[in-house]
Amino acid sequence: MRFDPPDAYWKKDVVLFFGKRFALLIKMLYPVALIVPVAASDIPAQYAAAVVGIVAIMAGTFGAGESLTADLNDGILMRFSLTPLSPRRIVFELLAVNAVLDFIQLLPALLLVYVLHPAPLVWVLAATFAVFVTLVTANCIGIFIANFTSSPADVLLYATAILAPLIYLSGFFRNQDPTGLRALLRDFVPFAYMNDALQAVFGLAARSAPFEVFLYPGIIATLLTVGVCLTAPRLLSPRL
Amino acid sequence: MQTGAPALEAKNITRLYKSSGRGVSGVSFDVRPGEVFGLMGPNGSGKSTLLRVLSTAIEPDGGAFQVCGADGIREKRKARARMGLMVDRPTHYGDLTGWANAYLFARSYGVEEGKAESVLAELFDYFGLAEYRDDRVKTYSYGMGKKLALIEAMAHGPDLLILDEPSLGLDYTSQLAYQRKIRELAASGVAVLLASNQVDEVEAMCDRVAFLHRGKLTALGTPEEFVSSLEGTRRIVATLRNPVEYGDLEGVPGVERVVPEGRNLVVQCEERAGMVADVVAGIVRAGGDITDLAVRRPSLEDVYVKLTGEALKDEV
Repeated sequence: MRFDPPDAYWKKDVVLFFGKRFALLIKMLYPVALIVPVAASDIPAQYAAAVVGIVAIMAGTFGAGESLTADLNDGILMRFSLTPLSPRRIVFELLAVNAVLDFIQLLPALLLVYVLHPAPLVWVLAATFAVFVTLVTANCIGIFIANFTSSPADVLLYATAILAPLIYLSGFFRNQDPTGLRALLRDFVPFAYMNDALQAVFGLAARSAPFEVFLYPGIIATLLTVGVCLTAPRLLSPRL
Repeated sequence: MQTGAPALEAKNITRLYKSSGRGVSGVSFDVRPGEVFGLMGPNGSGKSTLLRVLSTAIEPDGGAFQVCGADGIREKRKARARMGLMVDRPTHYGDLTGWANAYLFARSYGVEEGKAESVLAELFDYFGLAEYRDDRVKTYSYGMGKKLALIEAMAHGPDLLILDEPSLGLDYTSQLAYQRKIRELAASGVAVLLASNQVDEVEAMCDRVAFLHRGKLTALGTPEEFVSSLEGTRRIVATLRNPVEYGDLEGVPGVERVVPEGRNLVVQCEERAGMVADVVAGIVRAGGDITDLAVRRPSLEDVYVKLTGEALKDEV
């Protein structure tokens, strides 16, 4: 498969991702620099899992939202949307490729976590899948935010406002033993399943079964993907 | 060569911005295959809004348009596939090469891999960008970016080209190359909608011209028809060393309008014996020090001045 010159929108992002070597080095190193020292330390397992989860959420949300608003401001994305390609396809490609590239960034750090904390294969697979689904979800949030602002700085602000309650519900730091409504809401947040899987990797008893980690966040992320793709005509239209 | 059904047919296009109430209102025209159709109008006349609508970027509040038979509102993607588009401020992926940008666009319009390579090689060569094809676009000059945008607009062989100020920023040689290419494409049946305030360019290239003013189409015809409608008038362009208060000049018998354009004073007046001497005398009386003087036949700009009471360049 040929990537350069790109013949599809997603290949363009791949070319740009791997095109700048220094930036690529930083992108690949910073998750390792944040996650591995925590994983190697003796801090409580639930907080080590939380750090991995937070890095994944931030990488996904800010990455897609900021680059998207930059392209929208530049006008290039709107120009691209005037090709015969479906706007929904463009947004889907944008979402998918950003999630995969974010995953590639996180993968070395995740593998080092698995080396430092050997866990049953099913939990390793579940955690890896949950991290990917988290990245899809986070990218969906970033793209959704880009519908309402053309400022990368606003993306950070809005993302924080959206992510803070979701992180709370997921039980990274607080709400670790939710009951009632909070427990119900937690079940609808894909980050929570990632947190469960990562806690299992770090040796804690998980709230969810492995199949739940594969099934529920997958369904939620699919619905979010469809929802975000439906916003494509608005997202790619001129801001007048 | 102008044949067959219109490549672009706009009927009563209306699009008004809620915030300002400005935009375009009730604009109708068509562009036939093989025709180069000019769209002129000062800043704020609605040109950009009209082009946004016709390029399917925004939907009109009212009216309809068709691109090669495809409904521009309900069949956007079909319409987009038939048109080549160059916006007035072209943007590209700066970290990709010029070639990669053009290739991405060509393939997005459905051009096959082999054909994309050959067509782009020809166009890069034609527009003098072959040497720079593997340079990142962020190193390109403004003019090179415009040429790349022209290549992207033409590479997929559109039936309708919509070009917004295409020659602005191009060097002289590139302007000639671009004009030659447009004529070639028109001769092969491509319809061209050219929005420009470059009067010479529009006069030289366009088969028909429409004037937009305050969101309305105020006149439509061939450049010859427009210019001949001003028969009996002349355009005197006096280059001055110093700016002058020219109000009194408008009182000279036969002077219809006086417009300052930088260091030039453009006087639109009757064609009669002694007219030039009267104008010169009027400028001198106003304190003007004339360094150059030209008496020219009327141009499309004079037509526009007559039609709207505004000078294009006055607002640029």
